[in-house]
Amino acid sequence: MLESADTDVGTAIFGAVTGMDERSEEEVFEKRKMGPLAWLGIGWLAFIVIIAILAPVLPLKNPMLGDYLHPKASVFSSGHLLGSDDSGRDVLSRVIWGARASLLIAFGSVLFGVLIGGFLGLLAGFKGRSTDTALSGVFNIFLAFPQLVLALTLVSVLAPRATSGGVQAGEWTHRIAVVILAVGIVSIPVLGRITRASALSWTQREFVMAARAQGATDKRVMLREVLPNVVPAMLSIALLGVAVVLVLEGALAVFGVSIQEPDPSWGNMIYSQLSNLNSAPAVWIVPSILIFVSVLALNYLGDVVRARFDVRESAL
Amino acid sequence: MIVRRLIQLIVVLIVVTFFASLLTSFLPGDPVTTIAPFSSAADRAQIRNQLNLNENIVVRYGDWLGHFLTGDMGREYAGTGVRGQAISARIQDSLPRSLLLMLYVQILTLLIAVPLGVYSAYRAGSRFDDLSNGFAFLLLSVPVYVVATLMLLFLSIQNHALPSEGWVALTTNPVEHFKHLAMPVIAITVGQVAIYARLLRSDMVATLQEDYILMAKSKGISDGRVLWRHALRPSSLTLLTVAGLNVGSLIGGALIVEVIFHLNGLGFAISDAINRRQYVALQDYIAVVAIVYVLVNFAVDGLYRVLDPRIRGARIG
Amino acid sequence: MTVFATVAALAVIASACGGGSSKSSTPTSAAGPATTAGIVDKSATDAKPVPGGSITYGLEADTSGGFCLYKAQLAIGGIQVARTIYDTLTMPGGDGKIHPYLAQSVTGSANNTIWTIKLRPNIKFTDNTPLDAATVKENLDHYRKDNQLFVFVFADITAVDVVDPLTVKVTSKVPWTAFPWFLWSSSRLGIMAKAQMESPDCNTKLIGTGPFEFVSWKFGDKFVAKKNPNYWYHDPKTGAQLPYLDQITYVPQEDGAKRTGSLEAGDYQMIHTSDALQTVQIRTDVAAGKLADTESDKYPELGYSMLNVTKAPFNNLAARQAFAYSVDRVTYNKLRNAGILQQASGPFGPGVDGYLAVTGVPNFDPTKAKAAAAQYKQETGKDLTFTISHTADPSTTQDAVLIQQMLKQNGGITTQLNAVPDQSTLINLAIGRQYDAVLWRNNPGADPDTQYVWWHCGNSPAAGTNPNGAAPCDNPVNFGGFNDPVINSDLDKGRSAPLGPARTKIYEEINKRFASQLWNLWSQYTLWTVAYKTSVHNVLGPALPDGAAPFEGLPTGHPVSGLWCDNGQC
Repeated sequence: MLESADTDVGTAIFGAVTGMDERSEEEVFEKRKMGPLAWLGIGWLAFIVIIAILAPVLPLKNPMLGDYLHPKASVFSSGHLLGSDDSGRDVLSRVIWGARASLLIAFGSVLFGVLIGGFLGLLAGFKGRSTDTALSGVFNIFLAFPQLVLALTLVSVLAPRATSGGVQAGEWTHRIAVVILAVGIVSIPVLGRITRASALSWTQREFVMAARAQGATDKRVMLREVLPNVVPAMLSIALLGVAVVLVLEGALAVFGVSIQEPDPSWGNMIYSQLSNLNSAPAVWIVPSILIFVSVLALNYLGDVVRARFDVRESAL
Repeated sequence: MIVRRLIQLIVVLIVVTFFASLLTSFLPGDPVTTIAPFSSAADRAQIRNQLNLNENIVVRYGDWLGHFLTGDMGREYAGTGVRGQAISARIQDSLPRSLLLMLYVQILTLLIAVPLGVYSAYRAGSRFDDLSNGFAFLLLSVPVYVVATLMLLFLSIQNHALPSEGWVALTTNPVEHFKHLAMPVIAITVGQVAIYARLLRSDMVATLQEDYILMAKSKGISDGRVLWRHALRPSSLTLLTVAGLNVGSLIGGALIVEVIFHLNGLGFAISDAINRRQYVALQDYIAVVAIVYVLVNFAVDGLYRVLDPRIRGARIG
Repeated sequence: MTVFATVAALAVIASACGGGSSKSSTPTSAAGPATTAGIVDKSATDAKPVPGGSITYGLEADTSGGFCLYKAQLAIGGIQVARTIYDTLTMPGGDGKIHPYLAQSVTGSANNTIWTIKLRPNIKFTDNTPLDAATVKENLDHYRKDNQLFVFVFADITAVDVVDPLTVKVTSKVPWTAFPWFLWSSSRLGIMAKAQMESPDCNTKLIGTGPFEFVSWKFGDKFVAKKNPNYWYHDPKTGAQLPYLDQITYVPQEDGAKRTGSLEAGDYQMIHTSDALQTVQIRTDVAAGKLADTESDKYPELGYSMLNVTKAPFNNLAARQAFAYSVDRVTYNKLRNAGILQQASGPFGPGVDGYLAVTGVPNFDPTKAKAAAAQYKQETGKDLTFTISHTADPSTTQDAVLIQQMLKQNGGITTQLNAVPDQSTLINLAIGRQYDAVLWRNNPGADPDTQYVWWHCGNSPAAGTNPNGAAPCDNPVNFGGFNDPVINSDLDKGRSAPLGPARTKIYEEINKRFASQLWNLWSQYTLWTVAYKTSVHNVLGPALPDGAAPFEGLPTGHPVSGLWCDNGQC
């Protein structure tokens, strides 16, 4: 359906999202130096990831237990640095424990999408012809399906459904895995199309054709010549994808398919308070700010990747 | 040519709806007890029969497809002896709403993203470029439902400037129509602008280095004219592609906004059909979305050739 | 000859409160804020009603099953709509007794096995067909044969016969004292026209005798009804033709806060809510003069944790006790309900026969909770753990979270939450008895006999048997599955006992039995609030045809026939 213009469009998409337009390479490289903002971005991301990992050993209040004497505490109040929610649960603690869920989902699903979608896209762009037609057809068909609905349905189908029997061991892990799978699957066609465009573009470069002419196997050429040039672009897309999924997790929470209460995630914290914005504002403002800053940081990190990785022609 | 397109359309339709039907058949819970919770075993057996639940999925799907292709969308299932509402009626109501919403979102997004993208490309690497990029991503980071809820709070509940929910048809009252849609459209647009602007900017930067642009400039044509008259058209391919790809996700995915603002569009219809296990309705809705998606992308294809002369002679598919 | 079931209205724990703006309150505890016990109605006024105006009414939920009433499963959202289009044969009054409404009289034989329904003459449906005995018989037959719930409710009816064009005779297997209440059935038993009942479009082609006529309905969108100019009912005090409004539009809005917000924004003129936190918000608006409201916790329904006693762990009394002792209801009420609700002592609320302020429901006691959990472990060898199911909306989710925490902190009991996306899935869960504990709401106040269908079991064990370990209840709508010989036999006795102190004692015994066996763990009585623009008046409706004051319970909605707005503008 869109094959006709794909070659040029593909290059365009590839260039667009990565900023690695062929001709403007030098300009881009010169202008996007690692400014202080970029460092700030990396620093922030490293910070939240480390804090999330360290959550069990940090001196945090129990994120699940409510302090009944101090419900809806405001920020900086006694014992609650970032306030507390309706039942008195500490916001600081929940936001850090929630970071584990939200970051795992964001990075995990993008990793899944990039690995599978990226691989399929690489295959389609490199092999061309019937492989490309088949894979592109599959991508296009998936894109015709309303994506949020697909993600919701996938989670409903795959998620644990214990209606009795008490505590299920590993329920949290199971749910994270399911959400990662669902969002990852939804992201495959998009990532696949972009990788395909990039691979298509690089496959037509002389050095690749030369390598093929020299008798190298397809597999070797694909992995040795094309893949290294595609990877940096994919990395840049992936960071953008992580930002999108961080926000998307909240949408899943609106439909009750993200992390289940009482476990926290940034998305479900925001959603739980949406009905009563005034009631305990810290509960939704703090995770919202965290998402917002993280998305900005990811954006700058994307720039850093573009500036640093300048893989062009491989030596022949 | 047309035949080829038609075949593509049918293939997409069948695969997408079959997949939908397969997926939803795995949904937990028994559809029969959802429809008729207190019924006797005999009643349930009867309902299972009427809904073809005893057949395997291929037969059930084939039955649906047969009806759909002849234009019979069927009725919702309401119980033994009673007719449910006609699904086509629901589609007639909700599809135009979703289409209009999507149209307004695309228009508003383009109205903001195009100038932003053009100017960023023109001043590539400058302060403005950086700032506008950052600002666009700032907008991207605020989830749709937070934007929507905040707008509701400030513009509707506290100030009565805009109505808080509901749909008024364009033909009934144009002013009210737009007042009711202002917040939903803005809420969705906010998340799209960054991406569109970015895409346009990139294409534009590449185009601005083409020889024919340099030639136009050397002829003394003003920068503005060069940008808008000569560079914009061929640079809009990617933007167009993505806008086309976005159609499917916008129609079905405007769900959150539809629920918050009570717009009762196709997204809500789909989610409702899933919840109430109305499988026939669900497949009808998804088929409709798939058709719209394919048609829109055909149009996008057609536009390519108009926009970029380089493509005109290219091999078609 | 008994005329009607008379429910002795017990004195509510409050001083006299009539209509108007007087408010009676009683503190729940020394430290807590005051609750409302009774009714507050700011819509009452002495001004003369003016016809005209139209109201958009925000509802709790839409009715997916449609309005073919004998097939429908109406919740409050559906009941309020049904009352707009249909009338029921009887209706309770402000005195807590049941009165004739669409029917002219409902009279029982000496032993209450035969009930005679006399209809009013010259009443027409909105399609101009007459309301006659044949139509009423058809309605009742459909209800008792084709409605999944009413099949059980009316199981004791053996025959419904037409005596003459305006008289229907109903025969019951057993003496049925409170039968007229069942002709009301929480306003679910509306009388439909033949044309509707016999049409395959029964659930979309609505024809009733009610104050408004059906115009259109789009599921999830809105339900529109316009004035019925030939409504049979005139205001008994003034003789004025009812209704006053030109049109009512019902809009479903499940999010309680948005419903309130849309009312504040002026997009709705009226809403209802049972969410205490919304009521608190509404009271702020009322105090500021922006809105008016009517609040009532008379004849309330109640929230409770329904327990599945057909399997572990709740087939064991110690487990149920451990749960009950762990929950600090006062703190729960304060955190989740802003402290404004009244603690429930049993399934019968203030105003209902059988109500007792003290029933023996366990009070919060962490020591006893832990002891009961230990006893459970000793008796079964397993740790006490279970799953709490609940609807997935944010408010109920936080309710469940709080209960989960209290169980952990006070009883050392670990639990799992199971959020269920929609009402019908929850009902399925309940019917299938696949849950452990579920947060539930039911039992609106009326004659206590109306709760028979939810509790009675045909396969009752012999008197004196320990109900823990009995065979599960054979009644599918006894979702918990408890099969208690004391309750079963008391329900049968109460059904047939003549009105009076002896009957009241029977229901009090049932009440106390619930407290000692803990089949359900009662939470708080609900407070229903109807909120509206200050221009709206007369929410409780006109006097009943026989002159009685209107009913003051709101869990089953309120009449719309008496609503009017200042200057005919809402």
